[in-house]
Amino acid sequence: MSNETMALAIIFAFVIGTTIVGMIPGMNKKMSLEEWAVGGRSFGRWLNWFILAGEIYTAFAFLGGSGWAYARGGPTFYILGYGALAYVVGYYVLPSIAPIGRKHGLMTQPDLVEHMYDSRWLGVLTAVIGVAFLIPYLQLQLTGLGLIIETCSYGVIGRVPAMLIAFTMVAAFVYLSGLKGVASTAVIKDVTMIVAVVFFGLWLPYHFFGGVGNMFEAIDAAKPGFLSLPGGTKNLDVSWAMSTLVLTSLGFYMWPHFSANSFSAKSPNVLRHNAIYLPLYQICLIFPMLIGFCALMVLTPALKVPDMAFMTIVQQVFPGWALGLVGGAGALACMIPAADLILSTSMLFTRNVYGRTIGVGTPPETQRNIARVVVLVLTAVALALAILTPNMLVNLLLTGYAGVTQFFPMIVLGLYWKRATKVGAYCGVIVGEFLVFFLMLNKMDPLGIMGLNLNAGFVALVCNFVVFTVVSMATSTPATIEQKTKAIS
Amino acid sequence: MNPVKVILTIIPFIWTIGALPFVNQVKPIVFGLPFLAFWLCCTIPISYICLSILYRMDVGKDDE
Repeated sequence: MSNETMALAIIFAFVIGTTIVGMIPGMNKKMSLEEWAVGGRSFGRWLNWFILAGEIYTAFAFLGGSGWAYARGGPTFYILGYGALAYVVGYYVLPSIAPIGRKHGLMTQPDLVEHMYDSRWLGVLTAVIGVAFLIPYLQLQLTGLGLIIETCSYGVIGRVPAMLIAFTMVAAFVYLSGLKGVASTAVIKDVTMIVAVVFFGLWLPYHFFGGVGNMFEAIDAAKPGFLSLPGGTKNLDVSWAMSTLVLTSLGFYMWPHFSANSFSAKSPNVLRHNAIYLPLYQICLIFPMLIGFCALMVLTPALKVPDMAFMTIVQQVFPGWALGLVGGAGALACMIPAADLILSTSMLFTRNVYGRTIGVGTPPETQRNIARVVVLVLTAVALALAILTPNMLVNLLLTGYAGVTQFFPMIVLGLYWKRATKVGAYCGVIVGEFLVFFLMLNKMDPLGIMGLNLNAGFVALVCNFVVFTVVSMATSTPATIEQKTKAIS
Repeated sequence: MNPVKVILTIIPFIWTIGALPFVNQVKPIVFGLPFLAFWLCCTIPISYICLSILYRMDVGKDDE
């Protein structure tokens, strides 16, 4: 078999096999809204593990981790730190959210906000902001998938057909199986990805340098300082890394799709238990970086698109089967997180935007049917955006992590602090999101203040926190405290 | 709040964020990794250990 046929056969086997596995849970029975959206709140340790862990290995970890290492060097290492810290935050936050969700039938993040603050419109606002940050994230997965399959099939399958085929399949299994489909396919995706990154991440440095340590010695000799902060950049220095680690560890669980994932847990202890082991999984994030560093020293001429580092080096060094493995793993890394994103976005839209404005009182069965149709519509919209205007949403995407982290004071302080009020939440979120957009769209990220280079999202979060606290103190009354106490007990 | 729990919760943050200004260097290379990368990798077992002890304290031995 030629290299092209071999690579293509492997990629197709992965994509189709996974789709079939994803469709199985929904084929055997009719699912209620709760079963479809949050897996009937029945996930034990293993399924919950894979759905939470699976979110780390997305297109970004695969292409971005190696691309950052290739282009920026030292600043990449922050990725090793934030996940473990995020799980420490999650250890406290998720088990507090899950029982409230179970008691009051909550399924989405805006459900929780609406419930905690007894405010329908605050819920709608949270949902609209959530959708605004999820759609570009979804589009990123699509674009990543197009790039991966195009490269790994040696250009035989173009970007556009690749996206069309893969995302029709994603839509199909999300439509049928909901969160259960996402969970069972996440297992396949994670195993494949780990095998691929560990193999290439260790093999390449040994092949070219005789070991990982030798490779880093060689890089340090060729480019002194590249492996520490700020590495190959001007302003991603120590203060940037510190503020970014604060932002990303707090913001990790503020992505709207994580709320649904925590509502799917059978008991709060499942979430606590998994928080312990999830950090260990983070160690795998170092392997894409090793590949990126190796590509830096080996590939000539230099790459125009650093994100191509992983695939380019595999293509140059290995035969077709290896590229097929990378393509298959990479395709799943884009498809499965995308499936979770599509599911969450459709729930936010159906339940918290439509269901709380023009469609008040829609019964759950109808909501489920609408949400399923929205899955198809969203997939079509994301495909259209990715094909027609690949760069239009880049700005929104850059603001994504910083943007969702602005929910942190409202949601997490709201869980524990009885004096938090609706007015405080509105003011904090609006100030935070405004600053995120203003700073990032004016290219003020990182923001230089007093000799420090702070992550713009971190600056916005601090302002948001102050506004939220001060306004809440000023507007809390015995009545709001009583409502709040009831809502979070 | 139990002070032991507070300490266990903040150790990973101090290790990863607080110590960053003091560990931003390439040498020595430890386990094949530049020192900064090695230090940040250590966050992972440290969080694991702290969370395991917290879990024992919160849930006890008969989990689930």
